[in-house]
Amino acid sequence: MDFFDRQADARSRSRWLLAGFAVATTGVALAVAFVVAVLARAFAGDYAAVAEASPDRSTFVLSAMATAAFIGLASLGRLKDLGRGGGAVARGMGGERVDGLESDLLKRRLHNVVEEMAIAAGVPVPEVYVLENEPGINAFAAGLSIPDAAVAVTRGSLERLGRAELQGVIAHEFSHILNGDMRMNARLMGYVFGLVAVNTAGRLMLQGLGSGRVRSGSGRGAGVVAALAFAGFAIMLLGAIGVFAARILQAAVSRQRERLADAAAVQFTRNPAGLATALKRMADSPLSSYVRSARKEEIGHMLFASGRRSLSGLLATHPPLAERIRALDPRWKPFLNKMGFPH
Amino acid sequence: MGWLIFLAIVAALVAWGISIYNRLVNLRNGFKNAFAQIDVQLTRRHDLIPNLVEAVKGYMKHERETLEEVISARNRAVEGLKDASAHPEDPDAIRELSGAESQLSGALGRLFALAEAYPDLKANQNVMHLQEELSSTENRVAFARQAFNDAVMVYNNTRENFPNNFIAGYFNFRPAEFLKIESEDKRKVPTVAF
Repeated sequence: MDFFDRQADARSRSRWLLAGFAVATTGVALAVAFVVAVLARAFAGDYAAVAEASPDRSTFVLSAMATAAFIGLASLGRLKDLGRGGGAVARGMGGERVDGLESDLLKRRLHNVVEEMAIAAGVPVPEVYVLENEPGINAFAAGLSIPDAAVAVTRGSLERLGRAELQGVIAHEFSHILNGDMRMNARLMGYVFGLVAVNTAGRLMLQGLGSGRVRSGSGRGAGVVAALAFAGFAIMLLGAIGVFAARILQAAVSRQRERLADAAAVQFTRNPAGLATALKRMADSPLSSYVRSARKEEIGHMLFASGRRSLSGLLATHPPLAERIRALDPRWKPFLNKMGFPH
Repeated sequence: MGWLIFLAIVAALVAWGISIYNRLVNLRNGFKNAFAQIDVQLTRRHDLIPNLVEAVKGYMKHERETLEEVISARNRAVEGLKDASAHPEDPDAIRELSGAESQLSGALGRLFALAEAYPDLKANQNVMHLQEELSSTENRVAFARQAFNDAVMVYNNTRENFPNNFIAGYFNFRPAEFLKIESEDKRKVPTVAF
């Protein structure tokens, strides 16, 4: 597969995953609406309907719309939160602005590489930041749109990567900017947040009942409490299932976007060796992509390589390093340097 | 009735011709605009070279010939760029610039090869900065050139396609030239001694 095929493949896979994400979210909204609509009949005194699980149709439609709006609004709020501009995110991580006029040769080189890639990708030059307190090799792009994008690079990357390698890393980040990956991820995080809110709403319902705020009195009242308890439990469970499925799908989308960015980086630089060598440097020295900042979880999906110690499997935001390297250099064999020195 | 149909056909043909003409004009302006980006970067390259020569002169006293060669190649490239940026659609001007820039790349390549023999020179901060700026500028030229050549290819394809070629010929849309910069050393067949 060449780099155009790899990009097309990653794009079509992420489209399927996004469709799955939409199905999961809609499924949760419909299921919650179903529970509410059955409950509505119980309130109307029709307990037989509960036993048969037959919902009130108009309530079902209404509450399905309400749940969807609830998830949508929760995600919109989150999106607004994340949309404060790439520069702000980078500064929040402890980034220092680089404007290309420094006397520090390494910073100068970084700014030059970013400007070169901006020409190659045909976009305006984004803001450039250096994370001075990070000795590992890593980088990230932030910002929800091209005009307010920022690229941040760790001090370790500046010192330990050669010019061509740095160019590969920066080109990878440019692909995230061009493909709108930050926006897509912010939106997915928003939906996950909406599903968490559904789960929380169910739990609060149960807690409210448990603390006895809803008085049980007559026979009808006891029936209502039981129905509410069941509904609360069901909503909580549905929310939890939704969050679980959404997190797995979100991570899978993120891994495809990383593959896409690696392939696009080769397209921009026409130099697979640069990016491959940068990845090999990480693979051969353990923890070398590790990020110290406590806020790394927020930007985990935007990093060049996983900033966490080891997180493989379903929830990993990045494909394994070995897989990424072999896509560029099929003959590569891992050689783990126990001392942690770059080779 | 008959002449109405005839008129409609003529009107449709004229509209078609106008749309082809306009597309050709847009594409020609597209690659001219792409040249502006190359112009910026090549000018930057030409401005950096006298500084570099000034900085290394003190160290490379015995390489006067190479330094002079760099300066004269640079001056030729400045002239070539002036002509080409005035008329990016002129194939001769672009070819002239290609030649001048390739020669400059070759001369610079020889200068850097010789510089390897001067450790003091390589450790000089000023020289390191200039070298970084030059390699960055060369990358920018390469990327801007790719955009220009892509635009030229789209223009040439559109110009040569049937039936656009009639419109292009009638209104004198000339074929555009790719900008190629290769140092002659790279093209040379390696000499193998047995």
